[in-house]
Amino acid sequence: MYGNAYIDPNDKAAMMLAGEDPQKLAEFEARIARGEKIEPKDWMPKEYRKQLIRMIEQHGHSEIIGALPEGTWITRAPGFRRKLALMAKVQDEVGHAQLLYSAAETLGKSREAMINDLITGKSKYSNVFNYPAYTWADACIIAWLIDAGAIINQVANAKGSYGPYCRALDRICTEESFHLKYGHDNVVTLATGTPKQRELVQAALTRWWPPIMHFFGPSDKISNHTEVLMRWKVKMATNDDMRQQFLNMYVPKIWDLGLTLPDPNLKKNDAGKWDYTEPDWEEFKRVINGGGPCNAERLAVRRNAEERGRWVREALNTAESKYIAPLA
Amino acid sequence: MNTEAIKELLYKMADDLLIIGHRNSEWTGLGPILEEDISFSSMAQDKIGQSQALYVLLHELGEQEPDTVAFTRNANQFHNAQLLELPNGEYDFSLIRHFLYDHADQLRFEALANSSYEPLAKVARKVKGELKYHVFHANTWVTKLGSANAESHARMQAALNHAWNYALGMFEHSTHEDILIAENIFIGEDSLQDKWLSNISAVLLKAGLSIPSSDTWNPVLGGRKGLHTEHLGPLVEEMSEVFRYDPTAEW
Amino acid sequence: MIISLDPRVNRAAIEADNNIEPLKDLDQWETYEVFHQKRRGDQHMHVGIVHAPNAEMALIFGKEQFGRRGLSVNIWVVKTSDVFTTEYDDSDIFETVPEKQYREAGGYKVMDKINKYKKGL
Ligand SMILES: [Fe+2]
Ligand SMILES: [Fe+2]
Repeated sequence: MYGNAYIDPNDKAAMMLAGEDPQKLAEFEARIARGEKIEPKDWMPKEYRKQLIRMIEQHGHSEIIGALPEGTWITRAPGFRRKLALMAKVQDEVGHAQLLYSAAETLGKSREAMINDLITGKSKYSNVFNYPAYTWADACIIAWLIDAGAIINQVANAKGSYGPYCRALDRICTEESFHLKYGHDNVVTLATGTPKQRELVQAALTRWWPPIMHFFGPSDKISNHTEVLMRWKVKMATNDDMRQQFLNMYVPKIWDLGLTLPDPNLKKNDAGKWDYTEPDWEEFKRVINGGGPCNAERLAVRRNAEERGRWVREALNTAESKYIAPLA
Repeated sequence: MNTEAIKELLYKMADDLLIIGHRNSEWTGLGPILEEDISFSSMAQDKIGQSQALYVLLHELGEQEPDTVAFTRNANQFHNAQLLELPNGEYDFSLIRHFLYDHADQLRFEALANSSYEPLAKVARKVKGELKYHVFHANTWVTKLGSANAESHARMQAALNHAWNYALGMFEHSTHEDILIAENIFIGEDSLQDKWLSNISAVLLKAGLSIPSSDTWNPVLGGRKGLHTEHLGPLVEEMSEVFRYDPTAEW
Repeated sequence: MIISLDPRVNRAAIEADNNIEPLKDLDQWETYEVFHQKRRGDQHMHVGIVHAPNAEMALIFGKEQFGRRGLSVNIWVVKTSDVFTTEYDDSDIFETVPEKQYREAGGYKVMDKINKYKKGL
């Protein structure tokens, strides 16, 4: 799942380009304008590298942390089909983390450094995973709607300018289509099932709607900074555009099942856009900064996993190893 | 063909696979490094898939649906060896158990590929590739960690010692075993154990790990007859929590 | 102690403030480039990397990370540090002048001569 460029609004566009060689910058921008990809060893503006590392790394963290809320139900999935599918889905998310960290490594940040930044809370990941999966139905809603949101984001980013990220995303998108189908199938089964199942899935949907509305982040500030990132094909769509796309694709599917969404203002307006109650961005900020219901648990679990695996990794570390960033 | 004897064989195999697959799946997302997390999860999926294939055979012999059998029985109705229900512990124990079990599993299926009971022989031939990978994985890890550094050696040896008598319990005799042997359905637990010992001994030697001396061998029996440790009850309850939440539902 | 909805987390008995030593360099081992062959007869293709402590384990990991959906029949791994590459900065070495008809099939126009010869007969 789940990368969203978290862009520091205080970075000024002017600062971004300070000190860059104008001729190299022009060649770099011309290459992107021609639709060519940038590869790891190419010259690139410092800010391009920095933003990409931040974005890909956060995306990687979101995958590995995203394995936890759904993993909550991995030992309890009902029946062989669901048990196997959930295992395969969570496994894919771990695989996505592997692919994304590898892509970020090509930009010069080691996997160790990324993990360290994750487990100390220095680096962010998608906010939605700081919410708990209370019931089996929560895991189903995540698989359908969070993955759906992620796909919108990832399909857009796959057309970006950085070769290794695009390649990772192409592979990821293929697997996400299984996740989406799996999630939808689960939600449909619950929504069309027994009264108890319907009740479960409605409650889960109601719980998850606010985090889902937060998923794409607040409206982008229109700034030169954003413009440059869009010109560099680092940021491929605005948060509002992606949110609109999501609502347009999924609200009708949710209503089709006779499920309700906890927003009385949600409707498609005459201009073909979706109106909705503005999400609580104060809560969003609070959760991003560590105040969500599961932030502490998620990081503690990751630290625990790293620590329990340490002796395994250390034992097999051979002295002659030397680290070189992966090639592509 | 003696259906009761075949069912007995299928039940213990299917339950072994389901329980170890379930245990191993607990590592998904929490493994020692991303790449190994993925590999271990694949093998857990293989195991659960294999168990399902065997419950399907049981269903064809008149038992209930695979989901019903797997998700509604109580612990004392399971026939898995106790080795497989033990908690995961740390990665050393999980790997050693995987190694000890998968060698036995591979040999069991290898023998069954020639079984006179064709439906089972067919399953055995189908899973051959999966098992080959599992054993390759297990051998590599055990060999490397057994001889890597002092800590990893000590951990692996301790895990082996802890698992050993439970592992011997995998070869507990079953009531109808003689019939299976007589009808060329299965070679029987004793010859399976002999082959197993010789296969794992070769790998453990390379790993610098030693099998506990034979005067301490004391197989932990009972699993095949529904006798289990205190760990299986909670496992089964957890596994079937959602399934039992609404038993009338399709999930 | 973390009280979780995930029974696995509860079993692990995790303290909320379980600060750990940061991972050291090479904690995640080095990287191997992975190449796979989709089916017999195809070229092997680069599909990505794995972190691994040795070649055997790189194969074990590569097989699952890149071949778990049965899309490969064979894989190769090679240490990243053993791969030599050209530089993208030197991409222009691949831009050769186009006047090299002598090594293209289209550079040989025998029919002209044959036709001329036949006319002269
Ligand atoms: Fe993902
Ligand atoms: Fe996903």
